[in-house]
Amino acid sequence: MKNLLPKLPEHIFRLFLVFLVFLGVILLVRFFIPNSFREHKVQIASTVEREKAREIKFAGTSACAVCHEEQYNIKKNGYHKNLSCETCHGPAQGHTENPTEIKPPAPRDRKFCPVCHAYNASRPIGFPQINPVAHNPLQPCITCHEPHDPKPPETPRECKACHGEFERTKEVSPHVLLKCTTCHVTPALHKVTPWSVRPSKPTTREFCGRCHGQESTVAKTAKVDMASHGEKYVCWQCHYPHAPEVR
Amino acid sequence: MIPQMTDKLAELLKQVMGYIYPNEIEIHWSILIVVYPYLTGLVAGAFILASLVKVFNVKEVQPTYKLSLLTALAFLIVAPLPLLLHLGHPTRAYEIYLTPNLHSAMAMFGFVYAWYLMLVLLLEIWFVYRQELVLWSEQEKFPMKWIHKIITLFSKDVSQRAVDFDRKVVKAITIIGIPSAFLLHGYVGFIFGSVKANPWWSSVLMPIVFLFSAIVSGIALVILLYMIIIPFRGEKIDMSCLDKMASFLFYAVIVDFSLELLDFIHRLYESEESIKILTELVINKLFVSLFIIQVLLGMILPLGIMVLIKLFKFDQELRKLLYFVSVILIQLGIFSTRWNVVIGGQMFSKSFRGLTTYKMELMGIEGLITALVVLVLPFLILALLLKIFPPWGIKEPRLEKA
Repeated sequence: MKNLLPKLPEHIFRLFLVFLVFLGVILLVRFFIPNSFREHKVQIASTVEREKAREIKFAGTSACAVCHEEQYNIKKNGYHKNLSCETCHGPAQGHTENPTEIKPPAPRDRKFCPVCHAYNASRPIGFPQINPVAHNPLQPCITCHEPHDPKPPETPRECKACHGEFERTKEVSPHVLLKCTTCHVTPALHKVTPWSVRPSKPTTREFCGRCHGQESTVAKTAKVDMASHGEKYVCWQCHYPHAPEVR
Repeated sequence: MIPQMTDKLAELLKQVMGYIYPNEIEIHWSILIVVYPYLTGLVAGAFILASLVKVFNVKEVQPTYKLSLLTALAFLIVAPLPLLLHLGHPTRAYEIYLTPNLHSAMAMFGFVYAWYLMLVLLLEIWFVYRQELVLWSEQEKFPMKWIHKIITLFSKDVSQRAVDFDRKVVKAITIIGIPSAFLLHGYVGFIFGSVKANPWWSSVLMPIVFLFSAIVSGIALVILLYMIIIPFRGEKIDMSCLDKMASFLFYAVIVDFSLELLDFIHRLYESEESIKILTELVINKLFVSLFIIQVLLGMILPLGIMVLIKLFKFDQELRKLLYFVSVILIQLGIFSTRWNVVIGGQMFSKSFRGLTTYKMELMGIEGLITALVVLVLPFLILALLLKIFPPWGIKEPRLEKA
């Protein structure tokens, strides 16, 4: 070591000294900053004060239940049981303090319910969703649905209740007289859980051929030679079944 | 909630597309976080250009060696500033040195930065300039005399032995410096690349793409500075130096472009579930900044220009003009790259079903003006550094004020 040290030029020692001083300053600062500076208590205390000083706006479901027992009991078993009363009626702390003067609003038009129930691809499968434009236009939601225990009044009997666009297309096409169930086999469960149980679709050429093949006895339909027409393609690859073209 | 915040959210909400989570409406990593990797990249790039001279003995680039080092230092000093401004409480930054957290990549930045600043850049500059500093301090008057004296640590040893020793140390530091520069900017890419919840960022290629874009931007910046400063001093631009730097820039742009293309094709081919929302993002939100500015103006156009320069024998003036245009376009492109990474990565929802938008503040601490100040500051620092460490003329002592 003693042999090595004199070989280094003198300015290197000065440089080392600077580094040592620098390290020393860091350690000194570390030593001199009192630990109380690192305590979070002061900040937490001020946060608590700030939060406490804020105006209370929501009363909570249990406060509503004291007076509105009937609605509370209906709601607690229904599909909306996990919603707070104030989700629809708005913040009601004022109402609990002065029940006669301050009345919380009740949404009675068609604008409010679609906030949750309008169709949106990102909502979970099975969540009740409607198209607000097509779903019983102009009727307020509460005419058919009791908001405290919402259930569909009854399952729609006709396909067009949900599939109105297909129905309207079909109505002006040569297939107007065909029922949807002529081509689609629809399990009863489809009306209960429409997304998980789906109706069938025709998958073979022979299915269309029953009416449109040359051998078919069905009157007044366009007839083709199934053996040569369209070769290997399935019919719906060229013809849209809900509005097949007319010659 | 603070009323201004409600107003801001209400305004942003109108521009939200599809479905996003409530905490994704506002973009939290703002323009300051765009500026940060941009500045760091310039540091790494400028240093790598400097190391070409010392490690790879590229003699032509010698005139820009010291300028590159000083540029790297000026930008490195400012590099953590956007982070400090963004986080607030700058006095707490010191804590990351006292309570090292080895499990946090972000916390390790302090050490990467300190290593690079103290043990690479400052040391290299000190050893490179030491001999000149001693000579200057003997010939100058107050106050420069004392500034230089203090920087030399009052050492007057300019013997052949000491100078030879300095030269060896510089070479050693440069060799350590290259992996350190890679570490510094690769680290920034690593931060983004390791966010596994974000498919726009999460990629192992990220550090490498960052690194090469850093080299591109750093070289382009030094070329730009060289082309501006030298004529201002009434000197002649060394064309062989400029051609050589442009040549390195050309190769760096090609590598950078290929890497980004590879990343792009890989994402498309891999087609993970995020690909649809990323396509929407690129088409709806980043079209101008990604396709027009980053790719077309920032890469393809400068590449085309440089291919033309290589193919045809243009005269000096036209070459200078074309280089000048190219490096400005490249700077624009690389800034846009940072923008697309940082802002783009926050514009789509983690539900993969919606996009939000970024509304930049003008005056606030995260605003455009702060960002511009942070971008201009390194140039002011560089001007000061050029006064203290004049890089012109290698051996001749400076007699009067530059």
